[in-house]
Amino acid sequence: MESPGLRDRHGPRRRSRRGLSVLKRLRSRLAALARRRRFEEDLAEEVSFHMEEHARELVRSGMSAHEAARRARLEFGGVDNVKDDCREARGLRLFDEIGQDLRHALRVLRRTPGFTATGLATLALCLGANLAIFALVDSVLLRPLPFPAPDRLVRVFNSYPKAGVADDGCSVTNYYERRGEIAGFTGLAAYRHGAAIVGEAGTTDRVEVTRVTAEFFSTLGAGPVRGRAFTEEEMTHQTDGVAVLTHGYWREQLGGDPNVVGRTLKVDGLERRVVGVLPPEFRFLSSRSRIYLPWASNVEDREPRRRHWGSSSQMIARLRPSASLAQAQSQLDAHNAAREADAAEARMMAEVGFRTLVVPLHADHVAALRSTLLLVQGGALLLLLIGAVNLVNLFLIRASSRAKELAVRQAIGASRWRLARAVLVETLLLTSGGALLGLAVGAGGTRLLAVLGADRLPLGSQIAFDARAGLVAVCGAIVLGIAIGAPIAWQSLRTAALHALHSESRSSTASRAAQRTRHGFLVAQVAVAFVLLSGAGLLGQSLRQAMAVSPGFRPESVMSGHLFLPWKSYPQAAARLAFMERVLEALRRRPGVLTAGMVTNVPLSGDTNKSAARVKGHTLRREESPHGIYSYSVAGDAFETLGVSLIEGRFLAADDSRRPERVCVVDEDFARYYWPGRSALGQRLFQGGQVRSDAEAFTVVGVVAAVKQAGLTDDARQGAVYYPYRHWSGNSLFLVARTSQPPDRLGKTLQDVVRQVDPELPLSDLRSMETRVADSLLARRSPAVLAGLFSAVAVQLTAVGIYGVLSYAVAQRRREIGLRMALGARPQQVRAQFVWLALRLLAAGIALGLGGAWLTGRAMQVVLFEVPPLHLPTLAGTAVTIMLVSLFACLLPAHRAAQVSPMETLATD
Amino acid sequence: MGKTADILPGTLDMLILKAVSLQPLHGYGILLRIQQISGGALHIPQGSLYPALYRLDDQRLIGAQWGQSENNRRAKYYTLTAAGRRRLKQETAGWNRLASAIATALAAAPDEA
Repeated sequence: MESPGLRDRHGPRRRSRRGLSVLKRLRSRLAALARRRRFEEDLAEEVSFHMEEHARELVRSGMSAHEAARRARLEFGGVDNVKDDCREARGLRLFDEIGQDLRHALRVLRRTPGFTATGLATLALCLGANLAIFALVDSVLLRPLPFPAPDRLVRVFNSYPKAGVADDGCSVTNYYERRGEIAGFTGLAAYRHGAAIVGEAGTTDRVEVTRVTAEFFSTLGAGPVRGRAFTEEEMTHQTDGVAVLTHGYWREQLGGDPNVVGRTLKVDGLERRVVGVLPPEFRFLSSRSRIYLPWASNVEDREPRRRHWGSSSQMIARLRPSASLAQAQSQLDAHNAAREADAAEARMMAEVGFRTLVVPLHADHVAALRSTLLLVQGGALLLLLIGAVNLVNLFLIRASSRAKELAVRQAIGASRWRLARAVLVETLLLTSGGALLGLAVGAGGTRLLAVLGADRLPLGSQIAFDARAGLVAVCGAIVLGIAIGAPIAWQSLRTAALHALHSESRSSTASRAAQRTRHGFLVAQVAVAFVLLSGAGLLGQSLRQAMAVSPGFRPESVMSGHLFLPWKSYPQAAARLAFMERVLEALRRRPGVLTAGMVTNVPLSGDTNKSAARVKGHTLRREESPHGIYSYSVAGDAFETLGVSLIEGRFLAADDSRRPERVCVVDEDFARYYWPGRSALGQRLFQGGQVRSDAEAFTVVGVVAAVKQAGLTDDARQGAVYYPYRHWSGNSLFLVARTSQPPDRLGKTLQDVVRQVDPELPLSDLRSMETRVADSLLARRSPAVLAGLFSAVAVQLTAVGIYGVLSYAVAQRRREIGLRMALGARPQQVRAQFVWLALRLLAAGIALGLGGAWLTGRAMQVVLFEVPPLHLPTLAGTAVTIMLVSLFACLLPAHRAAQVSPMETLATD
Repeated sequence: MGKTADILPGTLDMLILKAVSLQPLHGYGILLRIQQISGGALHIPQGSLYPALYRLDDQRLIGAQWGQSENNRRAKYYTLTAAGRRRLKQETAGWNRLASAIATALAAAPDEA
């Protein structure tokens, strides 16, 4: 009697209403769920009230009380069914059923502790690894910089690509010329990182500082919360006696003094007045600076002729909301063209390909890291994939043993959806538990990452393992739970359906299909493990290649430390030289010190600034551009101490800084470039880009081996010139000493000697040269270590997978084995049968893995150093490792198979 | 009681809304009221009343408060909400249209077919 008319009247309206108030209904469901006990009491009371009222009425019409109550119950119908329908009407039945499923799943998981523990451990490790790496990727690549509209912040830098100088920051002149001239920028600022000595004599500290222009903070959109930022008037050397403190410095060094603004601080021997304090959350890129100072300059520093005098400074800008990066770029190009048109060095600038580039600040800051980080995250995801496949297989094996239970449940009326849901609830329960443990593993993992040097990466000191990681864990648990549950539910339903048809289906096609699925998953797992392991192998190989590169000096037994001589105490080169000679003299008398020297930059220090030098008699060929070269100055026995080998002529000696003759030493790259096939000795060159009078020329007195300045894997043969300190005197210096002791023991000696000569001078960045070499390989070693860890887990998981699948195969075929043994098969034959099965699966997995490894190897080329995508020894090693571990894993099940007694098996069934 | 008819699917909701639109009623009262206003012609299975009430409550078409019954017993009283009143109006109009259409159709003479 269902008329279509009636249905039509309800259909569309119900749907639209449902769409409108889904949220409201969900809220009412949750409220009902929360007040569950109250709901049940109310429902019971309402029903009994109904029956009482009905009975009362029946009594009124003359029925006995007992009979009336019976009639009332009868007419009401099945109370439990009615209540159930009411609950369903309130949407509570789903919750009830899921509750049942949960309790059932908990019971099942508790009944199989080995299985549950394996699953939880797998998930904890795989998810934990992913969460830790995600926290790193998130902090470095994903999280926006902590400024308003951070995507509008850009970096602006000068580039001289043909001179081998890709990035030279900006000059003082650049800043004053560009300010207010680029329409696409609302703010433009320059800054320079450095260090300063803060405090009174005897209690001085070397503190990292950043010198910034007046509108630095306003360009970022974040500045002092106490006091004020710098003003335009404070940007000269006469007026820059002010400082802005970070929150950390204010709290730790000045005890959080509320009246700090106006207090004075001795910085590099000069009194500076504190004018502002930054908020605790202020963080500029990876800067560790604790004090901000004005970026002061003199009027002559701002002259156009100094436009290309790199000042180790950087420029940032904020894009106007309406302007694009490309517009700003073309405005800068036009600006440069107008400036360079009449400049003396216009031709040279054209030759070196000079251009000023605008790039997004955040992306640029982490550009070098991006591919490595994504690679490591990719590795972690592969590990997760292996773990998930492993779990699917373990679940499948267990599901086959529970097929009968499912068939029974289906037979007594459980719907397919209900059965599938039970499986999903179970996998979700397991993955949720795994995710919880994974969070703990991940938190520990971030600490491991810090040990591996993550805090030295750009933005790496700000790794936050917080709610975002938690959210990813929750999503991961849900996705994994469904991904693992889906194939299991599918397989279970299929098996259950077939079980319902056959009473006994030991050899049915269903179990054969299930076996194929299990074997397929195992093959996939082996393949992915192969890819991961071979990737780790490639990274390791690449690290080995890099470590095998000669740094050009002998780093063992050399200690080094960084010194910064303040202009105030050491205004003249002579004073600085005198200081150095006293330090070196005192150092040489200390026990354990073999030789000692000073040099303006040590190899692998991270400072790769280059300068120009002009060779007398060398005219630029067509297409040849002036070269940026490493320029050092040395005092004492710097070459002997560092262990740079002499190729020709002599080293610079202490005397060279006292004598008027201008001499220098060049490295082999420089000599080969300018005087190929000839001796460099006696040749002459000039500092800077111009040829000057002969009186200013430096005569080459020696040629030394090329030193890897930028990094062991840096192949640019840039060339280097070493001058006596007197002729190229900077105030940033490295003290180096070669020792007969373990070098780290010398650190305190170096510090003592410097303090003895000048109590105000702290020595910083104390590291042995061997440590510097090791640290320079951080970006190669840490990913290799991580990949190694991942693949170790992956191989373990594969072993567990093989063990599980084979054990099950043996258990399933016990009767067949027993029969064969009874017919005279020998244990070795049975054992061989299972080993052979494992070998076949392994071979398929490895064949697939080879293809994957080739693809990954190609994708990894960017981060590999002199390793081809198909590195045969790595692949062979990977195959052997996986083979050995897997065969080991299948020994026990195979042995168990061989142990089957024919009598026992025939008797049990 | 005279001849009773089973109610059409989907019409129970409409009848409940109608019953509570006259005055707040508890469940048993609704049952009695429907029998009363239909002149005892409609038979409602008692068990199907409550799920319908809970569904309507869930849809916010009726509201429920606990109160005192005439025998001083705690009872749950249902009232019509504004949304319920609108729904009742729509359903009544729709039902009347359908009923008259069916009546017209059934009254058709043979030559009009």
